[in-house]
Amino acid sequence: MAEANQLGCLFVGEGVVLKGNFQVPDIASISGVVEGELTAKQILIEATGVVHGKISGESIDIRGEANESVSSTRSLIIRSTGKVTGSIHYSEIEIEKGGHLHGDLHNINPHS
Amino acid sequence: MSIFSKNSPPDNGDDKIANQQLDDYAESASVSTEEQAATYEPVVRNEMASRPGIAKPSIISEGFTFEGTITSDGVLNIAGTVRGKITAKSVLIDASGQVDGELNSEQLVIKGQLKGEVNCEDLNIGPLAHVDGSISYKYIHIQRGSKVSGKFVKN
Repeated sequence: MAEANQLGCLFVGEGVVLKGNFQVPDIASISGVVEGELTAKQILIEATGVVHGKISGESIDIRGEANESVSSTRSLIIRSTGKVTGSIHYSEIEIEKGGHLHGDLHNINPHS
Repeated sequence: MSIFSKNSPPDNGDDKIANQQLDDYAESASVSTEEQAATYEPVVRNEMASRPGIAKPSIISEGFTFEGTITSDGVLNIAGTVRGKITAKSVLIDASGQVDGELNSEQLVIKGQLKGEVNCEDLNIGPLAHVDGSISYKYIHIQRGSKVSGKFVKN
């Protein structure tokens, strides 16, 4: 899907270390290391991916590591290999069995 | 009219033969299924026999409110309301269940509402669950749709 149209997408390959703050209009797929804030419409942290810093987006899918706050306005999925440390703000959450969650969990719209 | 009446008897005769053949088929088929059933039945019975007394769960039924401390070595199903401290090997909070307080268990399945401090090994939060509290766990599974907030610590 992403390969077909890469307009507005960020791909960080395995072994790549990226430092800074990133605004991505569409998909951010992280297989390497990102140090800094990351904002994207859709964030995929692959199994080898690590993010040190705040991440925020509509839908976030974590198979790797997120080491600071995570904020998702639509859906957040922590896969079985995923590891999240820090505070989480979500509107819809799913954690697969084996997923690692260490921190505070907040629902953005608790009464919906 | 007469033509029909003349022709009809032999037709009926053919039908009878055909019906008989069908009946024969049906009979042989039913015999074979009965035989199969007969061979399978003992297997099923053995299976039943090899599962002796599964530990009966303790049940807090819907509409029942309990305040205090519950301790159990077995399974606890909560469909009512519990306020207080719960310690059990396995706890299921049903869709209508509510727990307010401290909960310690090895296995915990939450389909209803939970508020308080939780200490468990295997945690499963169902899609309609509301959970709020400080939770320490070993293995976690949160299903989509559940409302969860609080502090999570993995042991």
